[in-house]
Amino acid sequence: MSKERAPRIFTFGLQARILFSYAVGGLAISLLLAAVTLTFARQQLVDDREASAAAIAVNNASRLSNQLTPESTIEDVPGIVDSLTRIEGAQTIVRLNSSWLPAPEIGVADLPASLVSKITDGSPGQMRSSIDERPHLTIGIPLVAFDADYFEVVNLSDVDDTLNTLQIIVGSAAGFTTFLGALIGLWASRRTLRPLRRVGEAAAAIAGGKLDTRLDDQNDPDLDVLTESFNEMVEALEDRIRRDARFASDVSHELRSPLTTLTSSVAVLEARRNELSERSRTALDLLSIDLARFSRLVEDLLEISRFDGGVAALENSSIKVHSLVSAALRTHHLDSSILIELTPLSDLHVNGDKRRLGRALSNLLTNGIHYGDGITSVSISTEDQLVRIAVEDEGPGVPITERSKIFDRFSRGASAGQRGDDTGSGLGLSMVHEDIRLHGGQVWVEDRNDGKSGARFVIELPMTAEGELDL
Amino acid sequence: MSVSETQILTVEDDERIRTAVRLALEEEGWSVDEASTGEEALTSFTRNPADVVLIDIMLPGIDGFEVCRSIRRTSDVPIIMVTARNDTHDVVAGLEAGADDYLTKPFAPKELSARIRALLRRARSSDSGTSRIQINGLVVIPEEGVVLVDEREIHLTRTEFRLLVELASNPGRVLSREDLLQRVWDYDYFGDGRLVDVHVRRLRTKVEIDPAKPRYIITMRGMGYKLQPE
Repeated sequence: MSKERAPRIFTFGLQARILFSYAVGGLAISLLLAAVTLTFARQQLVDDREASAAAIAVNNASRLSNQLTPESTIEDVPGIVDSLTRIEGAQTIVRLNSSWLPAPEIGVADLPASLVSKITDGSPGQMRSSIDERPHLTIGIPLVAFDADYFEVVNLSDVDDTLNTLQIIVGSAAGFTTFLGALIGLWASRRTLRPLRRVGEAAAAIAGGKLDTRLDDQNDPDLDVLTESFNEMVEALEDRIRRDARFASDVSHELRSPLTTLTSSVAVLEARRNELSERSRTALDLLSIDLARFSRLVEDLLEISRFDGGVAALENSSIKVHSLVSAALRTHHLDSSILIELTPLSDLHVNGDKRRLGRALSNLLTNGIHYGDGITSVSISTEDQLVRIAVEDEGPGVPITERSKIFDRFSRGASAGQRGDDTGSGLGLSMVHEDIRLHGGQVWVEDRNDGKSGARFVIELPMTAEGELDL
Repeated sequence: MSVSETQILTVEDDERIRTAVRLALEEEGWSVDEASTGEEALTSFTRNPADVVLIDIMLPGIDGFEVCRSIRRTSDVPIIMVTARNDTHDVVAGLEAGADDYLTKPFAPKELSARIRALLRRARSSDSGTSRIQINGLVVIPEEGVVLVDEREIHLTRTEFRLLVELASNPGRVLSREDLLQRVWDYDYFGDGRLVDVHVRRLRTKVEIDPAKPRYIITMRGMGYKLQPE
């Protein structure tokens, strides 16, 4: 009977969303931190390297300048260069007049052309470039006393390697942080949702009829508001339901006294109907029939108010199904030959309230007799641990659309209006539903098994397990 | 006793119900005394003991339970309690106060007279055939309406006595509540099992030495009761 919901296409639950937020938050923060760390580390490492290389290069250039004489040729330069301070991973290139002294692994052509022309013009400079696909820093210093330039080419690969290692470490840390964030998110979402889940469970219990369900105090100022309002709401609801039920119950009780007077008085008149005129007898018959109907209505309303007030109690005992059904048939003056036992278990028992089960069965029989053109069969069968009592009639049956509505209160189904001698309270089938539900069973109506016209009402009850007999 | 002499006392504070019930009972040929309060009922009963007493639980002054207990102190007259509710509390309390049966308002006069007839039959029934049943220290003499426990005479109400006779006539056989309701109260299958349970409980307090550990009247879980033959 649940309402149609809009189809869900792609929606995450609250828990998934919280978890996702934490994970994404963790990832974003660690990525930011990683980026900042790497940028600064790179800056620092490269700057240090450049500064120290530049200092040494300047020093070397001046030492080279001091050892050169106007007569020196390019052949003299390697000897001087060898005596200079070596920079780790650096190679020296020198130009003197129009001759070049290349480094062992780096040719003159590898030098950045723009830097070379700048140095040649007489101002020092430095530039980063890629040689053999590896990062290099070239520092160039013009030797102003001669027509010569000094170049120092520093391989920065080790800085890059260090940065790469650092990148791996920081990346791993970011991944770990994201994972940790997700874990915290999971924990937080569980913790956040726990009160919500409790509210959900409580609401389900209340919907199931446990009106005294309340939420425990959570000792949390944020949640106390929720707990308090929830409990207040349930309190009001319970109060309302109990008041309604009590009102119906009080009304029924109050009606019992005048009904007793009426019933007894009508019986006296019935006993003396021979003394009455024809017209009075007709009036008495009307009175009798509607008094009976009224009494039943009051009785049923009282019972319904017990269901609604949650005070309907089961007087359980072990009931032999065959005896119950036979007795119900006798009460309705039905021939016992219509009872079919489809189960070999002759001593089939259910644990239940004899009065309520008898009334449920009786209401089904009354229903079949009045609205189903008479009972054709009553059968007892079992399936797994369930006992089924089926009452079949030969009326028009119940249309599929009416089948759940027929158990509603005051529902008169499709046959409403076609009844002249209706003596039912309109509550009979709804009470069958309530009584059977109270026993943990269910009742429904379907088509007759043999394909003939007629309704088949089925009561299904849990069977009493062996050794579970309870007096 | 002929039927016309049968005297019924109805205790009911609602005058209209009282009158209507009197009219209906008189249709059956019974003579009816009326009382509107508990005090009035006790006075009336002392002056003119009835054959059956019908007591409404809700009375001004002393309530129906108390009237029932007071009458029980001196008499084993059949008592029918009339309740406005079918609640277990009222029904069981009424039966424990000593009532033999109960009716719920609004009852049909036909039902009321059937109950009264069953009780009258029971009140007069002393022809169960067996002359003397002895089970250990328990002796039942149906014809004389006498019960002895360890040679000491026990006083039972007539319903308790009928119940004991039914059980004692079938020693060792389990009688279901429905059997006992039919035999003792003349009810059909849908009679109230609480009648049997409360009467068995009352019977035990009289015939058993330790009612919590019954020696004679044994409960057969899920089946009924039986009188232990040895």
